[in-house]
Amino acid sequence: MIKAEKSLGLVFFPAFDWAISPTHPEREERLLYTQDQLREEGIFDIEGITEFKPDIATEEDVMRLHFCFPDVASVTTGSHLISAGGALRAARAVMDGEVKSAFALVRPPGHHAMKCVHGNRGFCNINNEAVMIEYIREKYGKRKIAIVDTDCHHGDGTQDIYWHDPDVLFISLHQDGRTLYPGSGHLRELGGPNARGKTINIPLPPNTSEEGFIYTIDSMVLPILEHFKPEVIINSAGQDNHYTDPITNMNFTAHGYALLNEKLNPHIAVLEGGYSVQGALPYVNLGIVLAMAGIDYSHVKEPDYDINYNPQDDDITAYIKKLREPVLANYFSPAPDTDRPATGQYYTRHKNIYYDTDGIQESQREHVMMCNDCRGVIMIESSSSVNPPGAGIEIPVFGCKRCRDEGYRLLKEARASNNFVTVQFTDRVNRVYERYGA
Amino acid sequence: MLLGIDVGGTHTDAVLVGDEGVLKSFKTRTDRGNLLGSVTTALAEVTSGFDVKKITNINLSTTLSTNAIVEQKLEKTGLFISSGPGINPENFIMGDCAFVVPGSIDHRGTETLKIDMKMVQNGLSECKANGVRVYAAVSKFSTRNKDHEEQMASAAAGQSDFITQGYRLSSQLSFPRRVATAYYNSAVWRIYNSFTDAVMKAVSQSGISAPVNILKADGGTMPVQVSRDIPVESILSGPAASIMGIIALCDIDHDSVILDIGGTTTDIAVFASGAPLIEREGIKLGGSPTLVRSLQNRSIGIGGDSVLAVTEGNVTAGPERKGPCMADGGDVPALIDALNFLGTSDFGDTARSNDGIRQLAASAKMKPELLAQQALEYAVATIRRAIDSMLEEINSKPVYTIHEMLEGKKIVPEKIYIIGGPARAVAKAMTGMSEITVPEYFEVANAIGAALARTTFETELFSDTGRGVMTMPNLGIEERVDRRYSIEDAKHDALEHTRRFMEKTGYDTSAGPELVEVSAFRILNDYSSSGCDIRVKCQVKPGLIKNLHAKAKGGAK
Ligand SMILES: [Zn+2]
Ligand SMILES: [Zn+2]
Repeated sequence: MIKAEKSLGLVFFPAFDWAISPTHPEREERLLYTQDQLREEGIFDIEGITEFKPDIATEEDVMRLHFCFPDVASVTTGSHLISAGGALRAARAVMDGEVKSAFALVRPPGHHAMKCVHGNRGFCNINNEAVMIEYIREKYGKRKIAIVDTDCHHGDGTQDIYWHDPDVLFISLHQDGRTLYPGSGHLRELGGPNARGKTINIPLPPNTSEEGFIYTIDSMVLPILEHFKPEVIINSAGQDNHYTDPITNMNFTAHGYALLNEKLNPHIAVLEGGYSVQGALPYVNLGIVLAMAGIDYSHVKEPDYDINYNPQDDDITAYIKKLREPVLANYFSPAPDTDRPATGQYYTRHKNIYYDTDGIQESQREHVMMCNDCRGVIMIESSSSVNPPGAGIEIPVFGCKRCRDEGYRLLKEARASNNFVTVQFTDRVNRVYERYGA
Repeated sequence: MLLGIDVGGTHTDAVLVGDEGVLKSFKTRTDRGNLLGSVTTALAEVTSGFDVKKITNINLSTTLSTNAIVEQKLEKTGLFISSGPGINPENFIMGDCAFVVPGSIDHRGTETLKIDMKMVQNGLSECKANGVRVYAAVSKFSTRNKDHEEQMASAAAGQSDFITQGYRLSSQLSFPRRVATAYYNSAVWRIYNSFTDAVMKAVSQSGISAPVNILKADGGTMPVQVSRDIPVESILSGPAASIMGIIALCDIDHDSVILDIGGTTTDIAVFASGAPLIEREGIKLGGSPTLVRSLQNRSIGIGGDSVLAVTEGNVTAGPERKGPCMADGGDVPALIDALNFLGTSDFGDTARSNDGIRQLAASAKMKPELLAQQALEYAVATIRRAIDSMLEEINSKPVYTIHEMLEGKKIVPEKIYIIGGPARAVAKAMTGMSEITVPEYFEVANAIGAALARTTFETELFSDTGRGVMTMPNLGIEERVDRRYSIEDAKHDALEHTRRFMEKTGYDTSAGPELVEVSAFRILNDYSSSGCDIRVKCQVKPGLIKNLHAKAKGGAK
């Protein structure tokens, strides 16, 4: 009998009865062969590996971080709440000491879901990792969290949610946005004025292989993590960097993913994308599970590895090596934001967001208070092709007295004005999650 | 008349059941060195005075295979495994004659690496030189494609008395379980078959011509001739026999808990809407999980012979057992002695029980009444905790669809059924928690369950229209299908093939197979349809030839 060297919790929720549409890559059988492979390997019999049933995320779990328009129920279904609930269960298992680490193999994914939600973008409605992180912060009092997003697509939703949060380090490795959806995640995106250098983007060239990914982890991600000293490390474990993935152009492998995971050593991994249902997912997921449990994964290898996998070209290696300096500089010595207003003033961002899956256009104005004592009260004015103007006001977690008072003033003002059909109000300090309006 | 014999680890029980209910029962200690003797004695005793020609069916439950595995009395078995990518296959080796051979089949059943037959041959030569006569051949995903197992088996055919091929054991996935199950199956094959030969001889010598069936851990039986090829299916059938006995004695139609309180342990089973729950993956034996289907059953270390102890004024019982209780001639007071002292049971020599409890109480400076009462409370609390944690585990069992996640039903037991020696005493102590029933004839419920259990069967049809194949692994069926092969075709085939197989091999088909799970996924390769993945599970679920509900009413309520 095999024993896991490190105890591991698995939340496996394949949602066999849910798809975006019949031919959409986010479809029912996405994890079918992964389940077959894990069962055939006897993963669930391994001593030290425990399978947990997902929780179902509550409205409050979602409202802790999202502004949903017009409300949570309109933009989520059971599938989203179970998927996020799967991440919550994984977190609970680790935080309560049931297991050393946990992997939530859940779908639908979440990392393209931004702070404001009007519908589905990039196959995501609510951000599973962020729902989980804010739960961990509220229930377990953790503060410093690092997310390493290894999905092939830029984790623009997670970036948006933590853009102004200096206590959450978000690192995204992805295929360069000039060549893939969602188009963002460039080096110059490094966090809002209150959180410069806490968003780190590493845009990798198409065809990056095992060598390039492992180099990126060793020489960029790990030094930054070591310096940041997070209390919790989370891996957004997308698997679409695989050489067989039908919707991306990278050249990564199951063994590479396992090695990457071993190096990152996350407390919690949450599945994101990955659409090579037969050729990649069964092997990549198996590799990650074994790596997290401290079990030898050297025999995990795709059947077509010797035929279809090519080692990296020299020019790609050279390109990635050149990324190291600017990436490290972004974290260790970020250029100050020249637009930063004075403390006590608001910084405003205008955003136009397209929801590709649902075809929704959203227009946003985001105001954040420049504060030296907390990450700053936030107000977002948002309207979209499906919703009239609404507002979201958030007093941040660990918010200071001034930002708390300011939050309640903003709420009063927003409710008194006729500008917003709905107003969402979040007071993370006093755990108030409210929604006003039609 | 129906005859049931249960040769358990401690006792051998037999009953003869007629239209009027239990006609005769017999109980004796099992002679562990001579199980055949226990069978023949029970057979002779329970049928004496009856016309054996009127016996229409014999069901037998024995611990023979279980004992052989637990005591490692296993025949040297040549184990050949081919595995492909995944966990290092060396982890799954069993016995000292195992060979890991390159070769790989993927999750869809596609061969991705040919099996290295040269290495198989080398291994076989080594086995031959060592006088190995039984073999097991297992490959990963052989339930999707049996080719590699077939190739290994045919290579071994010339030098073997018996070969187990993994795919014939179960349609279920789990390579490690398949390896262990196949290995055990071959390793007990000879001892099981020679025992069965002797039993069949004894049966025919006693003038009985009724068919003989062998009990399984899932509460059902298999025809004796079927069991000869899958002896591993006979392991751990005892607890299931008891559970089936309760079903025969009590009309259970709600969520409930069954307690079987034995000498060393209490077995706990849970019923959902009157039906016993089946272990999702299979039973564990000798530390190895297997593919042998079983009723869900948990054993805890509380029984009539559980030793009493007092530590700092706290009275405990079990999990240790130091021989029988004092009432039964033992040296240290056990749970039963406390029950005797309290007057809630009168087992064996109650005077010895009373002495034992008084002595223990004196040395612990306690009142004997208090000590006995606390011992009982401790036992009840321990059982109670085990029930709660088992229910918690069952109710938090993972599910894989949104529908089950949102609509899933929780099991909330309304009744507790208790059998076994201390049943009445424990029932009294548990009153007030739930409705408690101690059925009549509970002393031989296991043999009643054995006598009345019906044949069970399970199989899965797997069809991948992209690959153009349909398989039903444990039936040995593999057919070509085209793109038009539908869910309806699959359902029909699953039931029809199962029925035919059962008829051919001597199963009782009166209950007929039923569908339990049907799923179909359209498989896309890079957005274009490449066929349909259809899975249909069907079974003949555990059930009874007949029940004794009108004959046996609940005892102490
Ligand atoms: Zn992705
Ligand atoms: Zn502040």
